[in-house]
Amino acid sequence: MSTKAYEIIPFGDSGYLVKFPIDTYSDVVTQQIHSVIGQLRAQSNWEELVPGYNSLLAYFCPDKFSPAKAQSALHQALKLSADHKPVDQKIIDIPVCYGGDFGPDMQAIEQSSGLSEAEIISLHSQQIYTVCMMGFVPGFTFLSAAPEQLHHNRHETPRTVVPAGSVGIAGWQTGIYGIESPGGWQLIGRTPYAIFDPDRKNPFLLEAGNQVRFVSISARAFETVK
Amino acid sequence: MIEIRQPGTRVTIQDAGRPGYRHLGIPKSGAADKLSFALANFMVGNPWNTPALECVLGGQHFKFHKDLTVAIAGAEMWAQVNGQNVENFSSFKVRAGDILTFSFARIGCRAYLALPGGVEGSEFLGSVSTYLQAGLGGLQGRALQARDTLKSPDVKPQARTIPKGYKPLMSNHVVLRAVEGPEFYDLSLDSQRHLFVNPFRATQNTNRMGARLKGNLVQPKVAHSMTSSPLLPGTLQCPPDGQPILAMADGHCTGGYYRGLQVIRADLWQMGQIKPGTRISFRRSIGEDAHEVLSRRNVFYGSLMEGFSF
Repeated sequence: MSTKAYEIIPFGDSGYLVKFPIDTYSDVVTQQIHSVIGQLRAQSNWEELVPGYNSLLAYFCPDKFSPAKAQSALHQALKLSADHKPVDQKIIDIPVCYGGDFGPDMQAIEQSSGLSEAEIISLHSQQIYTVCMMGFVPGFTFLSAAPEQLHHNRHETPRTVVPAGSVGIAGWQTGIYGIESPGGWQLIGRTPYAIFDPDRKNPFLLEAGNQVRFVSISARAFETVK
Repeated sequence: MIEIRQPGTRVTIQDAGRPGYRHLGIPKSGAADKLSFALANFMVGNPWNTPALECVLGGQHFKFHKDLTVAIAGAEMWAQVNGQNVENFSSFKVRAGDILTFSFARIGCRAYLALPGGVEGSEFLGSVSTYLQAGLGGLQGRALQARDTLKSPDVKPQARTIPKGYKPLMSNHVVLRAVEGPEFYDLSLDSQRHLFVNPFRATQNTNRMGARLKGNLVQPKVAHSMTSSPLLPGTLQCPPDGQPILAMADGHCTGGYYRGLQVIRADLWQMGQIKPGTRISFRRSIGEDAHEVLSRRNVFYGSLMEGFSF
């Protein structure tokens, strides 16, 4: 794997942002970002390491770890990431009940794509996605690009409440709302799985780097799983 | 034991927060004004990061169920015990049955009440800080309500006073030193200039997640949709309507707007004292300066409170 061009810029006085000059999704960049984060996580100098789609944030205390050292650690990790071979990850199946009350924006996608609901479901669920990043709120799962026919703009005015587990589309992105929150994504279905559950032994069902596949289920199955 | 008689605008349990989980969408949270919080703990002899009560804008009434030494620090809220004035940034003795009240936030936004040994809350990822959006930490993940009682361990108090020069200044005009954010140069030239000149005002949309600001419009050179990217507390996000949002302790971990400015680490604590109506000025800081300021401030307060750093 070859290294993509990147740029390291300061993010405040305590962080660096590694930026990759891409506007859409790139598998190569995502793998590189997760390789760098994996390497840096083994070092204790970093307070936060946050992957994005086309960037990564490395946050540290400049009073304890000099910015010059931080920068060279980043360059080093980026260099090594070029030879990074992605580990074969187990694919995590996420059941989703598409359409109906769970996917109130299914019709909008049908209109923009000219596809039937069944075709949309099969397109959306046949692909394997990479978890690119988590957050803006706990459990929100940002996945790799959706099939092109399904791309659709966000709502101009976000909904004030989007139920936990909602699966949506925003531009080329697809993702899952981990907890109930406001949001503007086009909702096409919902999973009965709790992506984030603070009372569970492992509160996080997914983390960045995981591989995910959606499995279409009926409304009845949704209730049973839940 | 302490009883909440009136929660006022809002009162939550906070400690130093849960750092290191932003990649999972979990903000650090913790006391919004880290410095006043740490000083409140210092005055009752606690380690600086002991859980304390964060009181927003005033209106809180607390009843003590045992004799205690307590301390208050942060916003100036005209605190009283049984109707008698008590000084801000001080520790004092209360007896079982006494009632401590905060009137209203005359200067600043958040006052901290520290008890010897702290208060008990439920821990998540090593912190009892309340994060309301996901119902984490604190008491059942929520803000405290009237009739809630909190246990505090039986710890012998060690009343201490803050030495001269260590008491932070509270103000309704907060000056934050900041450096250019990752997309600063994607903002219009006018906006780049305005950011460091005219003060902004915090609107009603101001809480632990962020402060929506009003002032000169801050707009991009060219309208452009950005891929969701990481954010930090102290990031000034610039949405298309021109009214920036300053991210705070509970702010989102990622966002899709231009990141115009980043407040320097040594000044982040001041954001905890921003309330609706507060004026906010951003003062340009050069990278090296920020590191010097930070190192000086860490030495200064670290010598007073073991392990404390900004």
